[in-house]
Amino acid sequence: MKLVDVMSAAGLSGYAIVAMVLFMAAFLMIVIRTFAPGSRPQHSAAAQLPFSDDASGPAPRARE
Amino acid sequence: MSAHVDTFSYDDAIVRKFLWATFIWGLVGFLVGLLIALQLANPAFNLGLEWFSFGRLRPLHTNAVIFAFAGNAIFTGIYYSSQRLLKTRMFSDALSNFHFWGWQAIIVAAALTLPFGFTQAKEYAELEWPIDIAIAVVWVAFAVNFFGTLARRRERHIYVALWFYIASIVTVAILHIFNNLSLPVAPLKSYSIYAGVQDAFMQWWYGHNAVAFFLTTPFLGLMYYFMPKAADKPVFSYKLSILHFWTLVFLYIWAGPHHLHYTALPDWASTLGMLFSVMLWMPSWGGMVNGLLTLRGAWNKVAEDPILKFMVVAVTAYGMSTFEGPMLSVKTVSSLAHYTDWIIAHVHTGALGWNGFLTFGMIYWLAPRLFQAPLHSKKLAEMHFWIATFGILLYVAAIYSAGITQGLMWRAFDETGRLAYPDFVETVMKLMPMYWVRVAGGTLYITGMLIFGYNILMTWRARPATYEVPVISAPPLAPAHPEPAAPAGEGLWARFTAARFHRRWEGLPLTFTVLTALAVIVASLAEIIPTFLIKENVPTIASVKPYTPLELAGRDLYIREGCFNCHSQMVRPLRHETERWGEYSKPGESVYDHPFLWGSRRIGPDLAREGGKYPDLWHVRHFQDPRSVTQNSIMPTYTHLGRRTIDFAGIQGRVDAMAMLGVPYGDAVTRAPELAREQAQQIAAGIAAAGGPADLADKEVTALIAYLQRLGKDIRSAPATASAPAPAPGGAP
Ligand code: HEC
Repeated sequence: MKLVDVMSAAGLSGYAIVAMVLFMAAFLMIVIRTFAPGSRPQHSAAAQLPFSDDASGPAPRARE
Repeated sequence: MSAHVDTFSYDDAIVRKFLWATFIWGLVGFLVGLLIALQLANPAFNLGLEWFSFGRLRPLHTNAVIFAFAGNAIFTGIYYSSQRLLKTRMFSDALSNFHFWGWQAIIVAAALTLPFGFTQAKEYAELEWPIDIAIAVVWVAFAVNFFGTLARRRERHIYVALWFYIASIVTVAILHIFNNLSLPVAPLKSYSIYAGVQDAFMQWWYGHNAVAFFLTTPFLGLMYYFMPKAADKPVFSYKLSILHFWTLVFLYIWAGPHHLHYTALPDWASTLGMLFSVMLWMPSWGGMVNGLLTLRGAWNKVAEDPILKFMVVAVTAYGMSTFEGPMLSVKTVSSLAHYTDWIIAHVHTGALGWNGFLTFGMIYWLAPRLFQAPLHSKKLAEMHFWIATFGILLYVAAIYSAGITQGLMWRAFDETGRLAYPDFVETVMKLMPMYWVRVAGGTLYITGMLIFGYNILMTWRARPATYEVPVISAPPLAPAHPEPAAPAGEGLWARFTAARFHRRWEGLPLTFTVLTALAVIVASLAEIIPTFLIKENVPTIASVKPYTPLELAGRDLYIREGCFNCHSQMVRPLRHETERWGEYSKPGESVYDHPFLWGSRRIGPDLAREGGKYPDLWHVRHFQDPRSVTQNSIMPTYTHLGRRTIDFAGIQGRVDAMAMLGVPYGDAVTRAPELAREQAQQIAAGIAAAGGPADLADKEVTALIAYLQRLGKDIRSAPATASAPAPAPGGAP
């Protein structure tokens, strides 16, 4: 008996559908969570992160 | 709370190295692109040199642009931004340098093997197995270095750009390993362990997702870091960027309704797949809008700043090509666009516009900071921008019209119901003016690249004698992550929305990485397994037999020469295709094809039904000089095939490898070279008798002809009851 026979007997395609639905659900949860009221302050703090490193500073001015 | 503060510095030397590599390989990749564009406009540019011909160089172009140019650009940005976002030096300088030199060595290895015909024949995965192993090793070193840096960070929150990097690093590793599984037969030759339909699924699972996780997600990470930096404004909506990320990770791999159509999935699941695909428009456009709106109130800056100009065009190109992608997967659009230059135009919008321009914008921003000198000339940067933008427009306009023109010509019927352009070359000739416009567009883009290189070089020359290395100080992370208790006494909903699960994942890179990897793997398995292991999906055809040893050797020559870069072997079940080529291709026909050779672009005619269409001598003359047989052909000459001798001794090893992969080879397993010689002598005698050259019995051209004459034969010898009645032999006009 080859692997192919085992796999075809296992009827796996149903699991693919279950997984797909679970993914959709997980995704929707993240959407809801992200857009839930009250998350704004932490997000705007996070958005500032690229600027928290002052070492890069402004670039030397370009010559014209 | 401890008052302790760490001091450290960033490693910018590694960023400078990657920056130079980006420029040098970019220039090489673009120049090879220009050369092959010239070859299509005029075959004389193949120069009659075997290692210079289109089939050999086209993979060099794609690999150089994707892995060398875009790859080094990604690393430049990742090494710069990650250290700063995480407030720590890279985990290990030794690993950083190993990554850099290892990656460059791989690129050199690619440049030394592809022109000499060492290829796995799978698009963007052409490199042979030893190089594949090297890629895996270097990638793992990069991953260890990156995750080590994450673990040592001094910033609790992981900024969204880093999520994109994590997803890219993990996914690329998975894609690379599974698509490249192969059985080595020689130091630079291997056979894919998958065959036919399965190999095709594996390859396009890889192709589809490599575009996502090598050319999209890492660049989105760069966009989310460098665009706010360049605009000096935070990203327009952080929420949108989170959504953008998860949509790509969760939906991208599922959005393959064209893959799912073939499986045993019920209709509603197929519909759901389509829904995913449409939903992909959301993050693409959400991402584009998010990028563009980051510039809100700063549009006056865009007018003055070439960096922002590059970024605006890059993000717009991203939006356009990701809108086009799902559109191309719609069956009716695909039936017109597939195999034509439309696809080439589509990928160049992405590569030249999105990847190229984001890279230029990023490097113009980085150069003064890395070289600690002002940018040599803003004017030249402006000039680069306008020349390159005009170059893209020329390229894309010409190649879209080439694609649509040829697509329409292929499917046109005249009033009597016959093909309006039965002669394939006619549909090629029509494209020549557009191919010359492409050459002009490419030349402009490269001119811009040279200006860019000059500008960066001059900036570098103004650098200080020694670079200043700023000392950074930041407190270490507190070990425990404080977790506020859920608000007591409130409902489930309140507790759910107040839960810190998402912030917690971000704070736990390992969990986050595992979940991302899981998302990718589960979706991939679900997509691949059905076609892979379930028997009924690939019905076998009794009359389909393995190639003879000589045909197999010929097939390997077909691979070596890169014929699949111009010729497809897949007739689709569309009327104009079956009229032109003959019976449409069945999955069962390619069960012994390790690797599959369906091809993706028809610069020349489809060859799935080539067997028996012309006498052997026709092919001999055609390889010797295509234009003496078909006027105006743009196929390169292959005179070396008539000179070089067949490696008969090596054939046994190849047959044995095929047998190991499950191809039923029977007695050929013990006497392959003998069988090959016999067949070659027969063919050569026939050619000599017909008035051709008399010395071909041991020449490569004979093996290749044996292979070509076999194509499509098996299906024709099938009993008439097995399938629809076979079309008249010769199929094509
Ligand atoms: C630059 C693209 C290109 C490459 C590479 C190329 N061909 Fe072609 N080929 C063409 C074009 C265009 C035609 C149509 C004009 C003609 O008949 O020469 C063609 C025609 C053919 C034909 C005749 C098909 C027919 O049914 O009329 C065969 C057979 C063929 N090529 C085989 C090969 C093989 C084998 C290789 C590799 C050794 C190869 N080609 C490489 C472009 C290419």
